[in-house]
Amino acid sequence: MSEVELLLVTGSDSCTMYTIQFLADDKSEFEKFISKFRRDAELNRDFQAIMSFVERILSNGALERYFRREGKMSDSVVALPVLKSKLRLYCLRLTDKILVLGNGGVKTSRTYQEDDTLRGYVMDLQKFERLLRQEARSGNVEITEKEIITDKTFDI
Amino acid sequence: MRTANINLHEIFDEIPRERREAARLSFAISDRLDALMKERGLNRSQLAHALGKRPNEVTRWLSGEHNFTISTLAMLSAFFDQPMIMVC
Repeated sequence: MSEVELLLVTGSDSCTMYTIQFLADDKSEFEKFISKFRRDAELNRDFQAIMSFVERILSNGALERYFRREGKMSDSVVALPVLKSKLRLYCLRLTDKILVLGNGGVKTSRTYQEDDTLRGYVMDLQKFERLLRQEARSGNVEITEKEIITDKTFDI
Repeated sequence: MRTANINLHEIFDEIPRERREAARLSFAISDRLDALMKERGLNRSQLAHALGKRPNEVTRWLSGEHNFTISTLAMLSAFFDQPMIMVC
């Protein structure tokens, strides 16, 4: 079990963006994604493409059609971009206005399940969502249309 | 709740202007297409069938990421009998 904290990244009228951070780490999952690829000579272009989509989503909202469905039917895990790319960023799309940005990486296998690292990123988000919804049902977390209201940490 | 140590706007500003503008346009066109489909009560499969395309092609158009050609925009404008874009 690892303890995880939800952090606010930024917000607009259309969307509030969060990320998660393992308490044992010094960076959040989205910070790790940025650190890995922001200055990568080979993947910087793909990274910037994804960030340009994040910018549009912040402006327009986290609409379902802007994302590629990942994970299972029962969870909210999605990925950017929709179209073919060497790089993939995994997120939790909880509503049209709430997005939790996770980690991501280079997709070399046909599915993320075949890649231990990518599968790990997806599983972290799946576990986090399960706990978040459990705590929301217990009244310890409030999820509105546009915000997640909590100061809890989560054991995933 | 704590705030992450991420300056997204600094990262956005590193993206070349033409790429940011391309994303703005492609998202705007996809939103326009979505609005026209809703007006007509069409889902992806129905639009795809009407145009002789596959549903996953419509999914790509609606994603915001698609780089539309003039011929695709013209086809959609003709189908909906409304302009997809306005050129001033």
